[in-house]
Amino acid sequence: MISVPLLSLLSYSNIDSFQVINEKKYLFFTSSINTFYLLSITILVSLILGLFPAWYITINQFKFRKTIDFLMYLPLAIPTYIMAFSYGEILSYTGPFQTFLRFYLKPISNFFNRDYLTIEILGIILGLSLYPYVYASCRISFSLIGKTYLNLSKSLGNNWFKTFFKVVIPLSIPAILSAIFLVSMEVLNEYGAVKYFGINTFTTEIFKSWYALNDESTAVSIAIILLLIVFVIFSFEYFYNSRFKFNYSPNSKIDFTQNNNNIILPYVFSFFPIIFGFFIPLIFIIFNVVDNIGSFKLVELTSYTANSIIISAVSSSIIVLILIFILFIDNQYRSSLSKILTLLTSLGYALPGAVLGLSLIVFSKLLNNNIIDISLIGSFSLLIYALVIRFIAVGRSPLKSSIDKIPKSTFEKAQNLGLANYGLLRYIYIPLNKLGIMSAFLLCFIDVMKELPITLILMPFNFNTLSTKTYELAVEEMVDLSSIFSLLIIGICSLTLFSVKKYLSE
Amino acid sequence: MYFFVNNIKKSYNSNSPVLKNLSFSMRKGEILSFVGESGSGKTTFLRSVSGLEKLDKGLISLNGTVLNSENIFVKPQRRNIAYVFQDFPLFPHLTVFNNLIFNLDPAFKKNIDDLVDVTGLKTLLNRYPHQLSGGERQRVCIVRAIVREPELLLLDEPFSNLDKKIKKSIIDYVESILEHKKITTILVTHDINNILNISDKILVFKGGVLQQYDSPQKMYCHPSNCYCAELLGDLNELNFQGKKHYIRPEHIKIVERSEYELNIIKSLFQGKDYKVKATHNHNEFHFYSKYFYEPKTTLHFDFNPKNLIFFNKKCESYFT
Repeated sequence: MISVPLLSLLSYSNIDSFQVINEKKYLFFTSSINTFYLLSITILVSLILGLFPAWYITINQFKFRKTIDFLMYLPLAIPTYIMAFSYGEILSYTGPFQTFLRFYLKPISNFFNRDYLTIEILGIILGLSLYPYVYASCRISFSLIGKTYLNLSKSLGNNWFKTFFKVVIPLSIPAILSAIFLVSMEVLNEYGAVKYFGINTFTTEIFKSWYALNDESTAVSIAIILLLIVFVIFSFEYFYNSRFKFNYSPNSKIDFTQNNNNIILPYVFSFFPIIFGFFIPLIFIIFNVVDNIGSFKLVELTSYTANSIIISAVSSSIIVLILIFILFIDNQYRSSLSKILTLLTSLGYALPGAVLGLSLIVFSKLLNNNIIDISLIGSFSLLIYALVIRFIAVGRSPLKSSIDKIPKSTFEKAQNLGLANYGLLRYIYIPLNKLGIMSAFLLCFIDVMKELPITLILMPFNFNTLSTKTYELAVEEMVDLSSIFSLLIIGICSLTLFSVKKYLSE
Repeated sequence: MYFFVNNIKKSYNSNSPVLKNLSFSMRKGEILSFVGESGSGKTTFLRSVSGLEKLDKGLISLNGTVLNSENIFVKPQRRNIAYVFQDFPLFPHLTVFNNLIFNLDPAFKKNIDDLVDVTGLKTLLNRYPHQLSGGERQRVCIVRAIVREPELLLLDEPFSNLDKKIKKSIIDYVESILEHKKITTILVTHDINNILNISDKILVFKGGVLQQYDSPQKMYCHPSNCYCAELLGDLNELNFQGKKHYIRPEHIKIVERSEYELNIIKSLFQGKDYKVKATHNHNEFHFYSKYFYEPKTTLHFDFNPKNLIFFNKKCESYFT
């Protein structure tokens, strides 16, 4: 499923593609610099915003700890492009920030009157939106370290600060690397936000070459380069993590031993990401919705919401069905083939949406030229196919960890009692992994609901979802009108996220 | 006194304190075995001494410095106390050598070569913890603690979860190192038989209360209550001059005729002798013999009254 579009893309490239790279050196150079600069800022910001709150929330017991812990995940409910559109407007000359300064703090208002649509600001905004990946990964890793290593470090003379840098961080390197990998993939995949900020990255160049300039060979060349970069990052993460996967000895949970003097720190550390990563854009969007309440058409809203929900539900259901099947085979037979299959499922997330979309267009063109007469481009099935490939890795993690928690002896006992494969699947595997299946479905649902580049490339004619409509209006400088669609996405995603948290904590 | 614990109290919930008014003291270089059942508060005591737990009440002082009192609490990293944890944790991201020098003052690096030689760790220095066996991990943990010449060494169940052969060698290592370095040590265990040889003093602890604090010999011959007596070995109950007394199995002599009669149940082969299980006045009775006795045989026994142990009513169980 995953290799077919990629092979098509590679087969479409030829010697001309490499000549194109040579001819358009400057374009590639600018895109590379911008992409890596944006990547570095975003990674740095997400590390700062995710790492320290994760540590302080893990080791401290304080009032509203559970609520703050949940709120820290909420920026996941706001797609990066909506965050960028909102902050673009908030910081603009006519936006609430500068208007407030002109009215109340005139002397300094001129200092803040500047262009905020810069790569640095975009990096910070993407960091605000993507830090939950770092937070989630580190929360799990820090909790797993347990109190033994922390106590040991203290008894060997380290204070909390030294313990954090000498023990906690080195032991969490695999988790931090995985989080950085996810953040990197999201940045490389990003289209809406970078386009709105007018920054040329690989993704925007693919769109521009393919659609605006009708320059197929440049688009394919950029897609191949992007693919190579992704491959390098993926390999680095895979090999480094398999080398540094530490086996912790059975360990007790971290006890909350921090004294009350430091208890303000968890609030301080979590205040910034929660307020700036969720509440400010949300409040801005709500104000816009209230201001423009008369201009929204109910029929349009219902139709786009239904389209988004249908696409998300269908893709997530297919993903879950495929995963149940693949992971069941892997669990039962543990052959090298099943191992490769499960590894391949995690590759999809590494493919930037633009590359995947382009590959599938190339694939269907090849198919159309050589095998069948009907064009798949613009069909609902091609869109679902792409979404399934891209997000299958998202569903894999919760389901795999749920399966791994069941001792192998459970299946062996059931087999011993006479259950064959179908019986095992029906009476043991599915009932025991109900929560894992549900979490996998909901996580995929959120990601598909927010997805933009694939849907933009592959959506059927005259078909819009909440995300494409938000994008369409925002790039046409109508952010206020797009806000109702943004609010619907955030509302649906927040509710789904709440359910995921509930299922996972069960 | 070098190490001094006075009237300490610690509870996790107000109804049942884990440590109740515990007081004792140690001289420099002494090895104390802190004996108690699982869940009796042994680890809580060690954690309190090391500073990982704060006391509710009482005082702990070491080498003239108060570590914990009503107004003073010295942080664990500022106490010169080494703590070898029960599950022998080694930092999994560091090699054996890096584990040994973790946060080690350069002044103590000179101790490493010597200790590594004594404990046979020389060939393992570049290995990671997951490449070590249980016994090797244990040795690394002990060396890591000792290398920094602590004022007090705390060992939490250092000999549990080891097979007999490794256990013996580890005990030998610990004994030789502690003797060599003269480190004041508190060793916590639930199995007293492992540490009888290496302890200068034994502290028996039950239900948060100190039961007895004495030398191993004194505790064996003059236990303070029935609980301490049974902890150090089998005890037989018999009636002497109209009062209930106790006697150790090795003080029983089989004779041809006496007023004390035994009915044999079973003779258990132990290699150098048999441990014979019998009944006397409907109570279970044990003694050691070179001979095998058939079940249901009737025998007579005698003893030296000096070896009898007597407990008054207050001491027939344990102190609460």
